[in-house]
Amino acid sequence: MDFSLNEEQRAWQLKAREFAKSEIRPISIQRDQIEGGFGPWDWDIIEKGSRLGFRTLAVPKEWGGPGTDFVTQTLVMMELAKGDSAICKAFSQNWKWSHLIASACNDDQKDRFLKPFIADDRYLIGRGITEPNAGCDNRLPPKDDPRSGYKLHAERDGDFWILNGEKCFIANGSVGSLFFLDARTDPTADITRGGTLFLVPKDTPGFRIGKIFNKRGWRFYQNAELIFENARVPHVNVVGSVGTGSVKAGGGDTTGGDLFGDLELAANAVGVCDDAVEMAMEFSDTHKRGGKYLIEHQLIQLNINEMNMLTEALRSFVMRVAWEHDQGKRSATGVLMVNYSTDVIQRVTKLNMEIHGIEGSRMNARVDKLVRDAMVWSHLAGDTVLRLKAVSKLDFPHAKSRNSEAKVTASEAAE
Amino acid sequence: MFNLHLTAEQIEFRDTVRSFAMNEIRPLAIHPERLESFNKPLLRVLLDKASELGLRTLTLSEEFGGVGADTMTSCIVFEELAAGDVDIAIMLGQTSLLGDLLFDHWMEDSQRDIFLPRFIEDETFHLSCAGPIPEISNSWCYHENLPQEPNAGPIAVREGNEWMIDGSVSYVANAPIAEFFIVMAQTGLDGSGTDGTKGLLVPRNTPGLTINAVDNVVGKSDINWSHGCGAGVEFNSCKVPLENQICKDEKIPIVSEHYSRQMSLQRAAINLGLGRAAFDAAVEYAKIRRQGGRNIVEHQAIGKKIADMAIKLELASTIIWKAAWVADHPEVIADRSVSDLPQHTIANTFTAEAVHDVTLIAAECFGAMGVMRDMPAQKYVNDGFMFLHSDINDISARLPIAEKVVNYHRSKAA
Repeated sequence: MDFSLNEEQRAWQLKAREFAKSEIRPISIQRDQIEGGFGPWDWDIIEKGSRLGFRTLAVPKEWGGPGTDFVTQTLVMMELAKGDSAICKAFSQNWKWSHLIASACNDDQKDRFLKPFIADDRYLIGRGITEPNAGCDNRLPPKDDPRSGYKLHAERDGDFWILNGEKCFIANGSVGSLFFLDARTDPTADITRGGTLFLVPKDTPGFRIGKIFNKRGWRFYQNAELIFENARVPHVNVVGSVGTGSVKAGGGDTTGGDLFGDLELAANAVGVCDDAVEMAMEFSDTHKRGGKYLIEHQLIQLNINEMNMLTEALRSFVMRVAWEHDQGKRSATGVLMVNYSTDVIQRVTKLNMEIHGIEGSRMNARVDKLVRDAMVWSHLAGDTVLRLKAVSKLDFPHAKSRNSEAKVTASEAAE
Repeated sequence: MFNLHLTAEQIEFRDTVRSFAMNEIRPLAIHPERLESFNKPLLRVLLDKASELGLRTLTLSEEFGGVGADTMTSCIVFEELAAGDVDIAIMLGQTSLLGDLLFDHWMEDSQRDIFLPRFIEDETFHLSCAGPIPEISNSWCYHENLPQEPNAGPIAVREGNEWMIDGSVSYVANAPIAEFFIVMAQTGLDGSGTDGTKGLLVPRNTPGLTINAVDNVVGKSDINWSHGCGAGVEFNSCKVPLENQICKDEKIPIVSEHYSRQMSLQRAAINLGLGRAAFDAAVEYAKIRRQGGRNIVEHQAIGKKIADMAIKLELASTIIWKAAWVADHPEVIADRSVSDLPQHTIANTFTAEAVHDVTLIAAECFGAMGVMRDMPAQKYVNDGFMFLHSDINDISARLPIAEKVVNYHRSKAA
């Protein structure tokens, strides 16, 4: 085993650390405290980060990007998230779709979309899967209900597809220039066969942004409604082929970015935990309760121990999975890791709040922000479903015979 | 004997407040516009309507025009009110608690004659207490004497027929709506010999009293962290007549175990009401939200969440009722029916953790809707965190229970 980083990985890590410290951190609380859904957004920090390469970090070398590996991307997210979890996510969201373009799009599509993406500091990408009545169903479609899952309707009209329907909570929705869109091309088949993945630029006629969501955590990060009213998307924007299911079209993508999706959330969580640990240690070393420095109290020592313990365990888990991803290995560890990161980030930020407590009915704004940001992990990508999904990826010794038994029962019932 | 029957009166009172909280308060309390704002409006009209139900004078004795409710009834009623809106419950709870202490315990007849009629007649008349609640910070001194700390807060000096108050308190609950303040001021610092904490009544319009609003301002390094309403209060050569001193009899301590016990039980009950609101919202949503081919309430994963919430709420309710019963019937400790542990502290710390868990689980039932600011689930989570870290609760708050287990007694100061 070798845990050392190579020069390129180390260079990106330091560059991200410096950017997080000098540019992200100073605006973090200020943006977080602006009311409204769109209010906290700031193009300036996106442009600054983009010029340093943080927007296009995952674009392959042959298409003009730095072509960094998963380990590098993980290190960069840990650093950026320590500055601000939501701002980090606004950058890494683009890496997710850079991966998808690289793995699922044809050369014509890469040419048409990756080039403007690289050229424009404000070009952001998103993916619309979720709809008001299709959340968990997109992840774990129920076998007995083929109509469940996304319903956004796509109908062929010559060289075009006509899209009608609505997506909600879509990341980068209000600021994106390009969206991957999961639509139903066959409403009678389930989404694994009746779904198709499209590329939809923001200036597509008939496509507009609806409500911009106002969240408790990750306030900087944008989530919006996408509304399609007879939107015309050219057939050449179909990813893969029609009716293969958008998941298959995306190269097996189920988490929005496949291998990267799980890694993204877990690496971001490490950055937040690092932030919380640093705050807790600084505070307990400088503030007193009952006449003694906090760190002299065993209650606080126990909290500090647990915070460090969990953070280091998560860091090891995340780095291991990043390394496995770079080796092209697929297993249940990715989804297990993201589930673990949810527990860890929420526990660690809560312990930090316990250490700070309140002073004169005031709470440290950043302590509160970390708790609010951490809460988002339970509400992303169907948290409970991810926990169930992890089980579906594990090998059970009797799965084969159990499934055939179930089939027999089902056919008996049909008779 | 163990008897969980409420009286017919208690049930009727509970149902009246429940219906008011559900039908009138909750719809406005969780209106999307109120939820989205960082400085949520106070719902003053509903506060006054709740006063008219008798909640402002709930624990004040009947003799003086109050409802005369015992601790148990007060807990039951404030839980219901809080299920409608935590902020209204905290504001009314504070006035109810102080009203009982002030008029039933702290005032002399001559003072009651002056102040009581106005308090009874005016449903918008609220009370506020400016000063430290020392019992609470003591929990950090586990098995140790209290440190000598510099006097914080207002000081009072006697000048002829008046007390002159100077100093400030950074946050005073109910200050924005209070008609007068009970100021716990340090005296004797001028060497006059009358040292100790004195309670002084300061009407709102007294010259030298300034009330500073505590709004959340963008970019500040700390944020307001309290329920109800509050403000910073400043005293600059603020003079009140000597007659405004309460607890003149040295045998009546203004800072008492009774005060902190009643306060923590009332908070626990309000905290439980919050948990009920979160639970109700999650169950209602689970019954109508359809994913996985059925309403999500039918999935085991959601069933587990609902059961976990119900268990936590039932246990919190049980310990609050027990602690309230003990407060009303101290003889159950004397006759060894119940242990002599601080039941109110057990109730308060357990409820804060349990309801915190409930709010998080409830929010999880909402999926992405759980973090949206125009939806109630995230508000409940925020409220739960506030109870967990409040002026009477933090991670040290349980340590006095352990001290009591081994009958540790500390001397007052090092």
